[in-house]
Amino acid sequence: MDCWKRVAGKVAMAAILGLGTFGPGIAQQPPVHFWHPAGLPPGAIGSQQLARGGPLPGFFQPVEIRVPAKVLISLAEGGRFREPTPGPVRVGLLVGQVYRLAAINLPYQPGVAVYPTIEIVDRLYAPRGMETRFPVQIELTREDLELAAQGKFVTRVVYVEDPQAALPALGTGDQSWFDVAPGMDPLAVADTLGRPIAIVRMGGRVPDGGEADMGFLFGCPPVMPLPAPATSPTESKPKAAPPAAKSRPEAAPK
Amino acid sequence: MSRIPDVFRRPPQTPLPVVGSAVRPCAPSGPNGERMPRWLRIALVAACTLILCSCRAPVGSKLSANLPPSPALPQPASTGPVLPTAHTEALQDSGARPAAAPMGPPGWELGVPLPHVATGPWAPPGISKPWPPDEYLADGGDGGVRAAVRDSRQVRGLEMEDTIAHFDTLDGQTIIEPSNQVLLYSPRFRSVRQVLGAAESEQMLALTGVSQPVRAAGQADVTLTGSTKQHVQTVRQIGEKAVTVMRTRQGDGAISTAIGLAAFDNGFKPYENLVVIRTGTYEAAERAWLARGTTAAITWTSDQAIQVMLDRRAASAVVRDEKIDTLYSVDEPPAHPKLRIIKVASTAYAEIGDTVDFTIRFDNVGNQVIGNVVILDSLTTRLEFVPGTAQSSLPASFTTQPNEGGSLVLRWEIAQPLEPNTGGVLRFTCRVR
Repeated sequence: MDCWKRVAGKVAMAAILGLGTFGPGIAQQPPVHFWHPAGLPPGAIGSQQLARGGPLPGFFQPVEIRVPAKVLISLAEGGRFREPTPGPVRVGLLVGQVYRLAAINLPYQPGVAVYPTIEIVDRLYAPRGMETRFPVQIELTREDLELAAQGKFVTRVVYVEDPQAALPALGTGDQSWFDVAPGMDPLAVADTLGRPIAIVRMGGRVPDGGEADMGFLFGCPPVMPLPAPATSPTESKPKAAPPAAKSRPEAAPK
Repeated sequence: MSRIPDVFRRPPQTPLPVVGSAVRPCAPSGPNGERMPRWLRIALVAACTLILCSCRAPVGSKLSANLPPSPALPQPASTGPVLPTAHTEALQDSGARPAAAPMGPPGWELGVPLPHVATGPWAPPGISKPWPPDEYLADGGDGGVRAAVRDSRQVRGLEMEDTIAHFDTLDGQTIIEPSNQVLLYSPRFRSVRQVLGAAESEQMLALTGVSQPVRAAGQADVTLTGSTKQHVQTVRQIGEKAVTVMRTRQGDGAISTAIGLAAFDNGFKPYENLVVIRTGTYEAAERAWLARGTTAAITWTSDQAIQVMLDRRAASAVVRDEKIDTLYSVDEPPAHPKLRIIKVASTAYAEIGDTVDFTIRFDNVGNQVIGNVVILDSLTTRLEFVPGTAQSSLPASFTTQPNEGGSLVLRWEIAQPLEPNTGGVLRFTCRVR
């Protein structure tokens, strides 16, 4: 009996000391926002973001969708696509939901449509009254649309830049971006440079038989329309070099 | 005798179990009645406290409990979204809500606020606002490593977003004063793109074979039998140790010390012929003589003999009349050099391309003159200084130099020393990029 008590006491003390030693180390987690790869199906990351807590459920994050000139976009709503409109389009999108768009009237590709998806995985915390003045800017560049029309699968992770690690380049209307290699996770790379806000995927799927079902439209989550910006931003200019050569050297991911 | 209120009365205690005639304490005890050692209890409490302090609260479960009260509770996400107030107001102002717009719980047209926007920007419990910091541009203060001025007048530790001033005091010190921090809400977005296609995943799946003959190999090692002889010769060492004798003798000796006489020149003077002067013993019989001498000393030392000036100010006697000697001092407050820097911005929100005006007000709020006043402002990466916009209300030399963030460090060197209760204003303009 005494032997058992002695062993139990030692085990209990070892457990307590172990928890006291490693507990704080476990609590000091690295400042990583996402532990999931960007290759997950649309909606998986957003739903897990909602499960992590915070004031995310039910919040309409203002988003400004920019497209090249003459390109028309349409958001799926109520089981069908809305009337195509030229960009930029400002809408409020729910955090954690996936929205299906249709981009038509692509340059030099008449009759071809691309159906990108936008997944809002986080939100901004703008001062009260400034939510619509500072929307999340999502750009569907001409090159992205052309690549998607050619059968490529384009994933673009939009993130809020960390001011401490920001580039001194002056913003000229186009969103600064860079490519990552196919073997890398763009979400993880974006997480090292800032806080990912949205994931844009395009290419790959088209409506079966031209009819969009609810599965293709991800259930058509609600959209809150917002007034268009007062001044139209500069049109997204196409890049001259091929995608592989366009990686900005200043932000080469490691 | 006062009565104890009922709320302070202890509840009736249940009687403790009695074993024999001894009362057993309530401390944890084993089945045999022995108590847990005191050191073990203390260690257990300390370990539990450490574990509890290191735990992280779940993010989602306690957020709503710590949020301020809201006039309207949010609806669950499954029943429909909730609209922020600002969105609805903007929508009503524009009047552009389409007929198919939908989606909200009852009352969303009136702008049902979310609990986290009811009283301003939301921040996680325990984290000071503004939050999150990646949406704000900060300028001012002395964050990170504290700035320091070397002997060569070089400033070390001036990081991005820092705004400091350093000055010299009259006693040769160099003091650094940081300004307050100005925050601009200006999030900037970038993106990471990845393009995948079938062409990038092509693989050649042809069968390949490698013919590599492997021959049987053998290795024959021949180890010869050998022997080694080592002759060890017997060695003997003979040593002799001679007997030594040391003789010492100490003779008789004596130390002679003599202290020579020393005396004042001519002994005590006549007016010093007092016991208190000679021996330090105060005698009442000499009070009258002592008073006369004291009066004479005061007369000569205070009124006619010495006029004390300290730091161009007439000193006053702190102790007099009661004693012969007099202590002079200037009643002046202690040196307290202090420079106050206040920094303000023209706006709290800025989009990319907007210009923001900054104003720095500096004042000598200390009680002495300070010199070599230098004000430094290291701009953050996203703030671009607009050339030609630097102003100063006092004569100053303005220079810039690049910092580690690709922006500039603005430097004003005030030409003249600053008198107490004086100051100046600096202005400059930046463009948000």
